[in-house]
Amino acid sequence: MKYDNTREFIYEELLSKVEKPGRYIGTEWNSIHKNPETVDIRFAFCFPDVYEVGMSHLGMKILYHLLNDQQDIFCERVFAPWPDMEEVMRKTGIKLFGLESRDFIDSFDFVGFTLQYEMSYTNIVNMLDLAGIPKRSGERNEGHPFVVAGGPCAYNPEPLYDIVDFFMLGEGEEQLLEVMEHYRKWKDSKGTREEFLKMAASVRGVYVPKFYNVEYNEDSTIKSIKPIKEDIPGKVRKRVIKNLKGSYFPDKIVVPFIDIVHDRIMLEIFRGCTRGCRFCQAGMIYRPVREREVEELLEIADKLIQSSGYEEISLSSLSTSDFSKLNELVERLVSRYKSSRIGLSLPSLRIDSFSLKLVQEVQKVRKSGLTFAPEAGTQRMRNVINKGVDEEDLLNSVGAAFETGYSSVKLYYMIGLPGETMEDIQGIADLTFKVVDRYYQVPKEKRGKGLNVTASASSFVPKPFTPFQWEPQDPINTLIEKQRYLQKAIKKKQITFNWHEPYVSYMEAVFARGDRRLCDVLIRAWELGCKFDGWDQYFDFEAWLQAFKDTGADPDSYAARRRELDEVLPWDHIDVGVTKKYLRGEYKKSLKGELTRDCRTACTGCGINLLQEGGVCK
Amino acid sequence: MMHIRLKFTKGNEVKYISHLDLMRVFQRALRRTGIPISYSSGFNPHMEISFGAPLSLGVTSNAEYVDLKLAEPMDVREIQRRLNDSLPDGIRILDGIEIRENHKSAMSVVSHSRYRIRIFMENVSSDELTKKIEEFAAQKEIKIMKEQPKKGFELKEIDIKPLLVSMKLIESKEDTYTIDCLLLSGSRGNLKPGLLIKAFKEFTGYDIQSIRINREQVYGLKNGKLLDLLEYESAEA
Repeated sequence: MKYDNTREFIYEELLSKVEKPGRYIGTEWNSIHKNPETVDIRFAFCFPDVYEVGMSHLGMKILYHLLNDQQDIFCERVFAPWPDMEEVMRKTGIKLFGLESRDFIDSFDFVGFTLQYEMSYTNIVNMLDLAGIPKRSGERNEGHPFVVAGGPCAYNPEPLYDIVDFFMLGEGEEQLLEVMEHYRKWKDSKGTREEFLKMAASVRGVYVPKFYNVEYNEDSTIKSIKPIKEDIPGKVRKRVIKNLKGSYFPDKIVVPFIDIVHDRIMLEIFRGCTRGCRFCQAGMIYRPVREREVEELLEIADKLIQSSGYEEISLSSLSTSDFSKLNELVERLVSRYKSSRIGLSLPSLRIDSFSLKLVQEVQKVRKSGLTFAPEAGTQRMRNVINKGVDEEDLLNSVGAAFETGYSSVKLYYMIGLPGETMEDIQGIADLTFKVVDRYYQVPKEKRGKGLNVTASASSFVPKPFTPFQWEPQDPINTLIEKQRYLQKAIKKKQITFNWHEPYVSYMEAVFARGDRRLCDVLIRAWELGCKFDGWDQYFDFEAWLQAFKDTGADPDSYAARRRELDEVLPWDHIDVGVTKKYLRGEYKKSLKGELTRDCRTACTGCGINLLQEGGVCK
Repeated sequence: MMHIRLKFTKGNEVKYISHLDLMRVFQRALRRTGIPISYSSGFNPHMEISFGAPLSLGVTSNAEYVDLKLAEPMDVREIQRRLNDSLPDGIRILDGIEIRENHKSAMSVVSHSRYRIRIFMENVSSDELTKKIEEFAAQKEIKIMKEQPKKGFELKEIDIKPLLVSMKLIESKEDTYTIDCLLLSGSRGNLKPGLLIKAFKEFTGYDIQSIRINREQVYGLKNGKLLDLLEYESAEA
């Protein structure tokens, strides 16, 4: 059969051959469709993972509508096509397209990737290949889009330095529009690619890798990272929105046809976290803490429910319990939406007796389960990581939960933390048993039936901009040994034990703290067939090792090496606000098992308040 | 309290939306309209909304049916208007009626579906195709291997002859042919048009290059007559 255009061909021929065509339809409720003839800038917002994962991401929802609110910009969504779709695309010569227009993105002005986790990097290479866009920045010319990237992993941009033309560091709401403004001017001036990159580099938070030169020492550590031009900043400072009040939040969101991972309204109540857990990158890079006001949140919630028809709102933040007016917000949301049967969920809640009351208020009917994150099994270890929770807190909380009828709890732990011994591993089993015992202390008639405790142990991955950024990761064999030990020690019919694939955690550790030399490894791994590395069924460790061999790089020097405190780190030219001095101090305190208090009580001097003129910390 | 039955299209724009996903589309559209839908009582209250016969993925339709229970009465035309403003492109409410409280659900009365199947193939004359269709439909048995999704897609041989009521060529234009067929539908016997075409392909060996299927109507059997699901409820018992 003949088709009038590619748009129709993709829809009729390709989508009829894939398992989940709903991923590629592009006409979901609230999706934005513009006439490409009437816009000046076309932006492909790419999430390097499958639709169901990417559509669950709040940042993408915000920036999609922010860009489309500009009359002259048409922003479309692009996700990594699942391998069955990729196969029919390659077979029929269909290049990567924007979901809304189904036009190929190689003719767009921008192709922007959001970097949420390191194991999505091969998908970026694959998506560029599918799009027919040269994979390396230097191979692109005037006819090609600018390949840009942002998101949490962009704070260590170096492993992607030769793929991405420029990075946008920090919160994008203001910065992205400033870059677009420069682009309009540049387009009118008919300048060169290089000229636009220079203009972009003048926007605070924009990092153009080709304007920096890296020199290495003989032992292959980094000697220096310096700008090669005079008017390029020596350090690139991340962007933050000074005050969330009145800052951009869309009044509608795209409602997918198919079920996605987080299929609900995400109401962002605040950004940042003050707890200062030493393993947690999010807790450092998203500082400072800024709350949205309750009145504004209620207004946003109303608009989103009205425009989406969603049946559930989830409060979104790094630590729900720390929202200063949580009680008021929850009460008002519950009373507002009770009659229309809109549910409320409270993730990342620190469960204490106060919040348990809130949860009960919210989950009058559905008693799903509660999640606790002790992170480590012994008090010594929890002090090292500055997790300010003790055993008594945990047992009181689970006890209160069991007494109100909960019988299903999840416990999150990490293994491979700095300085961890087998005693700390045994501690995970012991603590989990104590939780089980606590259940049986509740009188039979009071407690819920059928206790189910799920203990999950993920493998610790040291991340940049955390106090543990100098630490080696446990060798794979040690992680496996610890997992096996726990498997045996924790065996009990009421306990389900989960763990992560250690080979994936190892590769994550390599790329999290990688430098420019990993860019070749990445492209080589893609050539060897690596993609969807975050999916166990596709992760191919042998291929990765081959890629390192072929390019002469040593993965252990990234994952398993202890760095000197005065070593130049690959991300030293990036300024996230939290200073290296503070991180060093925290690292030293961790060695002594000393705690650092929550900085809401008193400033701990992390440096974030100096990031912007006038300070941003309350 | 009020019960209504709506007839709607499932156009080309939404043909890849599964039955389960279509339910969610309606629930969210209803919430956007503010139509006073009734909720079930009990542990996990859900909207009182139920659909007629599910449609295969990739098939379009001019006649799908959904039953709604409202907590308070509302004009059917108003419901139609509001829903049409809130449903995605491709889903259009065409008609609707109020139905009795003790009606049989749309799902339970479905007995037949009429489909139009448009196929594209070269080097076959319409006379030959007409003859082949007659021969095909006149067989004593029509055996075909069918995947059983609930048994790990294990194949099982079934006879679809009892499920095929009629099949004829109604239009041919260049190399595109339209076949009309009436098939059993619902819990007492169900034949998907895709499986029928598969059997026909095996029977003829034709190289059918492209297939488009549209459901024309869904019927319930009442007093020996096939009635569409709106007529079914408005007809005297």
